[in-house]
Amino acid sequence: MRGKDIGTSMKAIRLTLLLGALATLFFVLSLLIGPAELGIVKSIGGLFAGGDEAAMIIMREIRLPRAILALGVGFSLGISGAVLQGFLRNPLAEPGIIGVSAVASLGAVSTFYTGIAGASLFALPAGALGGALVAVLVLLAIAARHGSTLTLILAGIALTSLAGALTSLILNLSPNPFASYEIIFWLLGSIKDRSMEHVWLALPLMIAGWILIAFAARAIDALSLGEEAASSLGVSMAHTRILIVAGVALCVGAGTAVTGAIGFVGLVVPHLIRPLTDRMPSNLLLPSGLGGAALLLAADIAVRVVVPGRELNIGVVTALIGAPFFLWLVIRARREMF
Amino acid sequence: MWCRPSLKAVFPNLRAGQRGGFSCGILFFAIAALVALTLPAAAAPKRVMSLNVCTDQLAMALAGPDQLTSVSFLAGDPDLSVMHKEASAYSKNRGLAEEVFLAQPDMVVTGTYSLHNTTALLKRLDFQVEEFPFTQTLESIPADIRRMGEILGREGRAERMATEFERELQSAENAACEPVPTAIAYDQNGVALGAGTLADSVLKAAGFRNLAAESGIHGMAPFPLELLVSLKPDVVIVPRSLSDAPSLADQIPRHPAIGALKESRIGTFVPRASWACGGPFTIEAVRALRTLRKDVAPCAEKTSALR
Repeated sequence: MRGKDIGTSMKAIRLTLLLGALATLFFVLSLLIGPAELGIVKSIGGLFAGGDEAAMIIMREIRLPRAILALGVGFSLGISGAVLQGFLRNPLAEPGIIGVSAVASLGAVSTFYTGIAGASLFALPAGALGGALVAVLVLLAIAARHGSTLTLILAGIALTSLAGALTSLILNLSPNPFASYEIIFWLLGSIKDRSMEHVWLALPLMIAGWILIAFAARAIDALSLGEEAASSLGVSMAHTRILIVAGVALCVGAGTAVTGAIGFVGLVVPHLIRPLTDRMPSNLLLPSGLGGAALLLAADIAVRVVVPGRELNIGVVTALIGAPFFLWLVIRARREMF
Repeated sequence: MWCRPSLKAVFPNLRAGQRGGFSCGILFFAIAALVALTLPAAAAPKRVMSLNVCTDQLAMALAGPDQLTSVSFLAGDPDLSVMHKEASAYSKNRGLAEEVFLAQPDMVVTGTYSLHNTTALLKRLDFQVEEFPFTQTLESIPADIRRMGEILGREGRAERMATEFERELQSAENAACEPVPTAIAYDQNGVALGAGTLADSVLKAAGFRNLAAESGIHGMAPFPLELLVSLKPDVVIVPRSLSDAPSLADQIPRHPAIGALKESRIGTFVPRASWACGGPFTIEAVRALRTLRKDVAPCAEKTSALR
C-alpha cells in the first residue's frame, strides 16, 4: 500500500471527483424536476431566497427532502455493497440480495403498523434498524461457518422471502384499509412525497453508519490477503465485524425505514466501479457511495420522467437495471459457485 | 316468484329448500294481510336484507320496525357509516350469498358498485334483488330515497325526507354568491376527489370551486402534492385516519408542505362519513361546508358598486 505511486492515487482522486460531480449533477436535476414545472430561476429562488410562497414550499418541503434522501440512501446502499463484498470476499453480497433490506422493511412494518409506538414516525427507524441488525448478524454467522458464496446467497434469498412474506402478512392483517396497498412500498421502495421529517429521522443514522464503515476500511484491505495474514498485521476480526455489522445495519436500516427496500444498487455500483480503481477494497468505498448516490438520484429522476403523473416505484427501476446484471454475474461466476 | 321452485331443483338435498317453502307460506299470508290492511301500498317486503353500506343507511333511515333483518358489517364502521349507532341494533352480514340464502329474505338491497358475483348468484337463485348505483351527485339522492321508500313500502316517509333534502339543497343554491373560494379534498395517499364524485357535488353546492376537478381530475385520482401547493387552495379538506392502526397513506395529507401554506385553511371540516355514501345525512356535509364558506370568503355586498 505504501509503495503505491502518485499516479494511482491521482487516479483515485480523479475518480472520486468525477463521481462526486455526477452525483451533484443528478442532485440538482432532481431538484428541478416535478409536476409543478417551476422553471430554473423560480426553483433556485424558492430554494435559497424564499420569495414566492408556493415555489419556496415546493422546493424546501417537497423536492429538497426527496433529493437528499435519494442521495443518502443511494450512498448507503453503494458503500454497504462495497464493504460487504470486500469483507465477505463475495462478489454477490449486497444489502438487497442477502436480505438486509427486506428484514429492515419487516422490522419497520412490524413496529409501525401494529401501532406499538402509536402513529409516531420514530417507530420506523427503530424497527428497521433492529431488523437490519438481526439480518446482518444472521448472515455473518452463516458466512463464518460456511464460507461459500452460494450458501450466503441462498441464506439471503431465504431471509428475503421470509421477510417479504411476513411483511405482506402484517400489512394484510392491519385493520387500516390502506395498509395492504403499502406492501408494494415496503417491497419495492419509493421516495415519493417524503418530507424533511424523514430526512432528520434517517440522515444522522445513515451518516453514523458511513463513519463506522470508513473505520473498517483498513481492516478489509488486510482481509483481502486472507484472515491469517490480516491477524498477523494486527487486524482484529471481531472488531472489524462489529464495525461492519453496526455500520451496515445503521445505514441500510435507516434508509429502508423511510424509503422501503430498494434492491440492486449495492450490487451494481461496486462492480461497475471496481475496474476503475486499484482493486483495494478500501479504495472502493467512497467511490461506491458516490456512485450509488448518483445511480439512485438518476433512477428517481427516471421514475418521475418516464411516465409523468403515474410514478413508478423506484425499486422497479433499480431492479430493471440490477437483475439482468445479477444474472450475468451469476453466470460468469458459476464455475466458482457450483 | 318468491316461491322459487327452481331452488329445490338446484339444491334438492338442502334443508333450506324446505325453509324456502316455509317462508313462501308466510309470504303469502303477509301479502294477504297487507293487501287487506293497506290497500294502496303494494306488497311491502317483510324481511329485507341490505348488503352494501350505502343501501344499509338508506334502508335504516326508512324501514319500518323489524322490516330490516340485517345490514352489512360496514354499517357499524363510524368512518364509513353516519348511522353506525343505529346499525348496532341490527344483525350484520358480510355480503355473502350464503348468508342471504340462509336468512331467506324476501328482498335484498345492494349496490351496483360491489359484489357483482354475489348479486348475479342471488338473482340466479330467484331472490328479489334491488341494486342502487353508487351516488355521485347530490341531485340523485332524493331519487334514491324515494326509490328505497317504494321498495320498502314506506313512500310517505321517503317523500318527506326527499322533499326536505331538496328544500335544503335549493336554499344552498339560492345562497350562492361571490367571491367563490377554492378547495381541494385531499385524501389518503394524495388522492384528490375530482369531477364526478359526491365530494365534488357537495363542494359546489356549498359554494366552493373544486380545484381538483378544474385541474382535470376525474373521479378519485392521485394529485401531485406540488400541484396542490402551487394552486394554493383556500381550503384543504383532509381525511380522518380510517383506523387507529397507522398507515403511510394517512401521512400524505399531513405532509408539512400543506401545513406550510399560510393562507389556506386545513382541516377535516366535513362531518365524519357524511360524504362516503349519498343519503339524507349528506346534507350535513353541505351544511358544514356552507358554514366554513361563510367564514373563509364572506359574500360580497350585493349592492356593491363594484359589481
